[in-house]
Amino acid sequence: MAVADPSYNQVDTSSDEEDGAKNNINGSPSSPKSVGGYNASKQNGTAVTHIDRYGFMGGSQYTNPDDEHRIAIDKLRQRELKWLEMFDDWEKWMSKRFKKIRDRCRKGIPPSLRSRAWQYLCGSKFLMEHNEGRFDEYLQQPGNPKWEDDITKDLHRQFPQHEMFNSKGSYGQEDLYKILKAYTIHNPRDGYCQAMAPIAAVLLMHMPAEQAFWCFVSICEKYVQGYYSPGLEAIQVDGDVLFGLLKKTQPSVYKHIKKQQIAPILYMTEWFMCLFTRTLPWSTVLRVWDMFFCEGIKVIFRVALVLFKIVFGDAGNFKDCPTLYETLEKLRHIPIQHLDEELVVQDTLRLNINERDMEKEHQKQIHRRKTKDKSKKGGKQKS
Amino acid sequence: MSYAYLFKYIIIGDTGVGKSCLLLQFTDKRFQPVHDLTIGVEFGARMITIDGKQIKLQIWDTAGQESFRSITRSYYRGAAGALLVYDITRRDTFNHLTTWLEDARQHSNSNMVIMLIGNKSDLEARRDVKKEEGEAFAREHGLIFMETSAKTAANVEEAFINTAKEIYQKIQDGVFDINNEANGIKIGPQHSPSPSLPSSSGGGAQGSGCC
Repeated sequence: MAVADPSYNQVDTSSDEEDGAKNNINGSPSSPKSVGGYNASKQNGTAVTHIDRYGFMGGSQYTNPDDEHRIAIDKLRQRELKWLEMFDDWEKWMSKRFKKIRDRCRKGIPPSLRSRAWQYLCGSKFLMEHNEGRFDEYLQQPGNPKWEDDITKDLHRQFPQHEMFNSKGSYGQEDLYKILKAYTIHNPRDGYCQAMAPIAAVLLMHMPAEQAFWCFVSICEKYVQGYYSPGLEAIQVDGDVLFGLLKKTQPSVYKHIKKQQIAPILYMTEWFMCLFTRTLPWSTVLRVWDMFFCEGIKVIFRVALVLFKIVFGDAGNFKDCPTLYETLEKLRHIPIQHLDEELVVQDTLRLNINERDMEKEHQKQIHRRKTKDKSKKGGKQKS
Repeated sequence: MSYAYLFKYIIIGDTGVGKSCLLLQFTDKRFQPVHDLTIGVEFGARMITIDGKQIKLQIWDTAGQESFRSITRSYYRGAAGALLVYDITRRDTFNHLTTWLEDARQHSNSNMVIMLIGNKSDLEARRDVKKEEGEAFAREHGLIFMETSAKTAANVEEAFINTAKEIYQKIQDGVFDINNEANGIKIGPQHSPSPSLPSSSGGGAQGSGCC
C-alpha cells in the first residue's frame, strides 16, 4: 500500500472501512489506532451495538465473529484440566517441567484460565500475597500532581472502543487511574509514561485492579525493565538489537531499511512499548501475551521479526517502497488477514534465531552505545 | 499522484493539546473526540495546491509526553515545517512553548518554518491564554501564529496551508536548498518543467527547480 495522498477533493469523510487507500492517519482499516464507527446494526428501528467476545464494540480491534478461531469444546476442556493440574503444583512444574509449560503457553492458554495463568507465570500472585494492603496504601497516598494530571488526560484514550473503557467514569477508566497512580508511588522515578496505559488496560480486561496492579509491576520491573524510564534508553537499545537481529534473519530487509536510514524507533516504539496491543488483531495479541508471560521479551523480538517477513516476504519485496514513508506505512499498517494468530505464532517458532543470538546482539549493542557515549564525552572535553 | 514538491511537517506540543485531532481534521476532514493516544509517531499526508502547484504534505504527528522527548528529537531531522501546538484552555501548555521551541531550533535545520497554534478556540468560555499572548510570543520568536479548532475545523486548513506558503516562498527566495533533502523538501518524481520552456529539454526531475 502506497502512502495515501488523496487530493483535496478525494478526501473521503465517510468511515468506509474497506477503503485501504484512504488517508492513513487513523483511517486505515488495519490501523489499530483507527477508531471507526461502532459495529452497529438496526433491529426494529433501534441501533444495536455488537460487542465482540473480547469486549470491543468497534475499531480495528473488533473481531468479526465469522473470523474467529474456535477451539473444539472437548479440546478446550482437556487443556483446562491440564492447566488446573499445573496450578496445583506450580512450583514443581516451573522448576522441573518448564518446557511443558512453555509449550502449553505457545498453544494458547484457555481463556477461562488466562488471568490466573498470567499471574502465576509472572509471579505477581506471589508479589501480591507478600504485599497485602500495599495497593490500597498507594491509593491513599497523595500522588505527584503532574503524573495525576497526565494520567487523567489519558484515561479516555485507551481502547476507547472497549466496553470497559468507552465512557468517562466507567469502571475500567476508574481502575486504570488507580493502577497508574499507584505505580507512580511505587516507582516515583519512572512515574507515569503514556505507553504504560495500554498495558494496564489489557490487564484490567482480565483481572481485578489489585491483581492487575501487581501483574503490571511485574511486567514493568522484570519483563521490560527500563522501557518506561526517563530518557527511554532501554527501548532505543532494544531497537538497535532488533535491527541487528534483522540483519541476521532477513538481510535484504535490513539492507533496504538501512539504505533508507529508518531509525528503529520509527517503527518499533509502539510495538515494543505497548507489547503489540495496538498492532495485532486481538486474538493474536492474547496469544503473543501468553508466550510473553512465559518466555519474556524475546517473544516480542520474535514477533517483530515475523512482521518484517509478513510485510516484505522472505525474498524482500520493496517495489512499493521507494522512500522511508512508504516503507514505514507498510510496516505500520499490516493488513489484518496476514496477522492471524496461528500464522504469527507458528512463524515466531520457526524463526532461525535463538536465545544466544539475542543475548549476543544485546551485549554488542550495549557495548556499541558505551563506546559511542565515551567518544562523545571525550569529544566534548576536548572542545 | 504526482506532485511538484513534498514538504515534511512535524507537529509538536504538550500531550492533550490536540495534535492528532488537528492532523485528522486536516487529512480526513473529521473530528474524532475519542481516539487512542499517540505513542511514538503517526503519519498523515495530503495534497494541497499553492501557486498552481501540487504540493504533498507529509506530516509527522508526535507523542507529547515529556518521556518521549528523547525520541521525538530524532523526528525533527529533515522537517521543512513545524506546527507547535498549545491548548488555549491550559496555560501550562503555553508555558512549555519555550522548551519546545528550544528543542525544535536545536534539532532541526535553521530554515524550518514554525507555525505557533493555539488550539481549541471553540472553547472560548474556558480560555486561559489570551490570543494577544500567543501573538506576542510568536512575534518575539519569529513564528507565524494562528488560533485553530480541530473540532470545528476553524483555521485548520489555513494553518497547514499558510505554513506551506511560507516554505514555498522561501524556496522562491532561494533560502531553501531544494536539492538537499535534509531540508525537508523533495522535488516530485513527475515534476518536470513545462514543455513550452526551451530550457526544459534534458532537464530531469532534479534539475527542474523553480525559477
